[in-house]
Amino acid sequence: MQRTRRLALFHYWVAFAAFLPAVILGAWQMLMRSPLPAPLDDPNAYYASVTLHGTAMAYVVTTFFAMGFGYAVAATSLRRPIRGMGAAWIGFVICLVGTVMAVATVLSGRASVLYTFYPPLLASPWYYLGALLLIGGSMIWVALMVVNMAAWKRDNPGRPVPLAMFAMTATALLWAWSAAGVEVELVGILLPRAFGWSDLIDAALGRTLFSVTLHAIVYFWLMPAYIAFYTLVPQAAGGRLYSDTMGRLTFIMLLVFSLPVGMHHLLADPEHGSGFKFVQSFLTFLVVLPTLLTVFSICASLEIAGRHRGGRGLLGWVAALPWDEPMVLAVGLSLVMLGLGGFGGLINMSYAMNMMIHNTSWVTAHFHLIFGGAVVIMYFAIAYEMWPRITGKPLRSKRLARWQLWLWFWGMMITTIPWHIAGVMGQPRRIAIFDYSLPLVARMAPLVIISVIGGLILLVAAILLIIVLLRSHFGERSLAQPLRYALAVNPPLQVPASLNGFGLWNAIVLVLMVVAYGYPIGQFFFLKNHSVPAFTVTSDSAPMGVR
Amino acid sequence: MGHDQGPFKLDNPWPRIGWWSTAGLLALAAVLGFLVLGRDQQNGPTLGTWSAICRALGIAADTGPAGEPQPPLRTPSRIAWTGGTLAEIAGGNAEHGAFVGTNCTACHGEQGVSRSGLYPTLAGMEAATIYKQLDDFRAGKRSSGVMNAIAQALTPQASADVAAYFSSRTDGLAPVVGARFQAGHTLREENPATRLVFAGDPARGIPPCAACHGPAGIAPGAPSLKGQQSTYIERQLAAFDQGMRQNDINEQMRTVASRLTPDEMRVIAEFYGPPATAQTAGR
Repeated sequence: MQRTRRLALFHYWVAFAAFLPAVILGAWQMLMRSPLPAPLDDPNAYYASVTLHGTAMAYVVTTFFAMGFGYAVAATSLRRPIRGMGAAWIGFVICLVGTVMAVATVLSGRASVLYTFYPPLLASPWYYLGALLLIGGSMIWVALMVVNMAAWKRDNPGRPVPLAMFAMTATALLWAWSAAGVEVELVGILLPRAFGWSDLIDAALGRTLFSVTLHAIVYFWLMPAYIAFYTLVPQAAGGRLYSDTMGRLTFIMLLVFSLPVGMHHLLADPEHGSGFKFVQSFLTFLVVLPTLLTVFSICASLEIAGRHRGGRGLLGWVAALPWDEPMVLAVGLSLVMLGLGGFGGLINMSYAMNMMIHNTSWVTAHFHLIFGGAVVIMYFAIAYEMWPRITGKPLRSKRLARWQLWLWFWGMMITTIPWHIAGVMGQPRRIAIFDYSLPLVARMAPLVIISVIGGLILLVAAILLIIVLLRSHFGERSLAQPLRYALAVNPPLQVPASLNGFGLWNAIVLVLMVVAYGYPIGQFFFLKNHSVPAFTVTSDSAPMGVR
Repeated sequence: MGHDQGPFKLDNPWPRIGWWSTAGLLALAAVLGFLVLGRDQQNGPTLGTWSAICRALGIAADTGPAGEPQPPLRTPSRIAWTGGTLAEIAGGNAEHGAFVGTNCTACHGEQGVSRSGLYPTLAGMEAATIYKQLDDFRAGKRSSGVMNAIAQALTPQASADVAAYFSSRTDGLAPVVGARFQAGHTLREENPATRLVFAGDPARGIPPCAACHGPAGIAPGAPSLKGQQSTYIERQLAAFDQGMRQNDINEQMRTVASRLTPDEMRVIAEFYGPPATAQTAGR
């Protein structure tokens, strides 16, 4: 187990080491686009910074965190050492090398293409190679999760896979499916052009392939938080999980329904007809099902805990919950942000309503609230839960941890709510500078300044996170209890094979993907050609252009 | 996954639920998306089933009544940035181009470094830009008495060769060095030239020059400007503004130039010009 602990710890270190600088960049970006004076007042620096912030937050922090959490969950929930430890370390090194390559390229000013890789914008091949290594290396983790779950099932025939491991494998499979889009885009479109092997770049095909990744990746980020909801929160609250089957169904539905939906990011794109846009928009709404199931199950589990602790009456159980536990506090704050962000998401995915907010700051605010808020606050809580188990050194101060969570919550609310409003007022996203002397833009200035204040609070909270973790890390070693997962009210003795594995669901995902993406991707090969010259974007001086 | 419950065994409950609900949802989405919702148009008659399906697939079927007869298009250029064009430019032979280029020195200066504000420096200019301008002169899309005649004497291959030659010269137009991460390139910038070059003027719909002419990126066909003759730049801006020059494919230069004041044209031209230019030459 000691070896697994170190493996998980290394992954967490990389994740949080990337997190703090990325938050600093984010805070500077808020300042840069506000009416207030900012240091290094340069749009080129802004786009490089947006690229770095997005790459670090969307790929580095999340992937390393999910991998570390995955290894920890596999070892502790299956209660045996991980198989393939050597491969796991190889994967870690590949991901790390990829990260360093990508970050170094952005820092050298040769990749200001934002993390969304939208051609015909083109960066240096080293950036794309770095991203490919990071994503490719994480596929070793995917394979190890599947191998470990399968091996456990072979050794324990007829017994249900523990929910935490089942959910973690769903997360890994979701990542494998979703990453396929960006991998094909990198290998088939971006790298050949970046190396100069092709002249033109098929912008529409590239965007379509990236859309395969672009929405499901969000659920890949979300799933560690959901795993904590189902398996850690009831335990921390001193109760039991309301239903194990509901948990399995939730993760299965997330796997199935988060994949064939990415085209709702392309609702304003001309290369696709209205039919497939509608179909995918329609399928996106089904993600509401696992989300509502989760909200119900978690509230029910918390109610069980609250009543067990003596809460009475209709809502008395809420007050009886142990709110001083970081995990319980985090889930409360997370659900608030998930609720607000979720309603915003319904607008984004609606074919008609999307047009009001397409490409405005509303979208940026939305994913900051739901990912940076609801999800990342659960990452913090997971870190506070896991760090002591891994290092054997308990949190020095739960009070400081609670402060950190509250600050992050308020920082995110103060940042994103005015940001949403500015988006509805028409503020475009991905813009470095606004002319606040214009009457139309001047109305947004107070909102943007409030967002800056929120950004600074977030920065303080991020620094506090590192302080809490470091203080505990260098503190006294005292025996920490092993991690225990929440028991269900009715612990499953036997579950149907379909709820204990992913064969059926992978087959359904395959069919859905073929139906939803077969024609939209296939049309480029026999009907349409959107090849255009690439537009090399750097913050550097050398004009690349058409060569 | 037990052997009794394979993913395709529909007599077991979960596969049955999974497959039937998937099929039902897809069918419902397809009927709504392809047959029902695509029929109605905001400004037009309701479409038939076949047209609705084509529209849903994104195939540009003839879904509306035939349009009014259009006047023939006046295209700003014959050049489109297709793979064929780019391959032809990339295939230019610089050695032969150097031979062709000896004809250019009389006006464009020794080895393409112009000494006069009447003629642009060609050394260091992008090959695609030179190639396009030569074709525009040849086709009469851009007029200049002498260049129209010279371009008509050149074959496309010779244009590609001479473009390759001048673009390979390093002693003319410099890449904009040192502009990176240099503070002060925002709307708050005092100097109108650097403000317009790096930040543009959103209020008047003027994008930053740097967005297409470098250093952030070079759009296809856009020349790098640093080191170009200031008077030449100023004259071209004026020509775009007055509609005398119309060979910018998407009218971007005509649009931008029409929104610049004469003073702004001058300071931008001076910003890009070589440091020791004789500003009065050729005026």
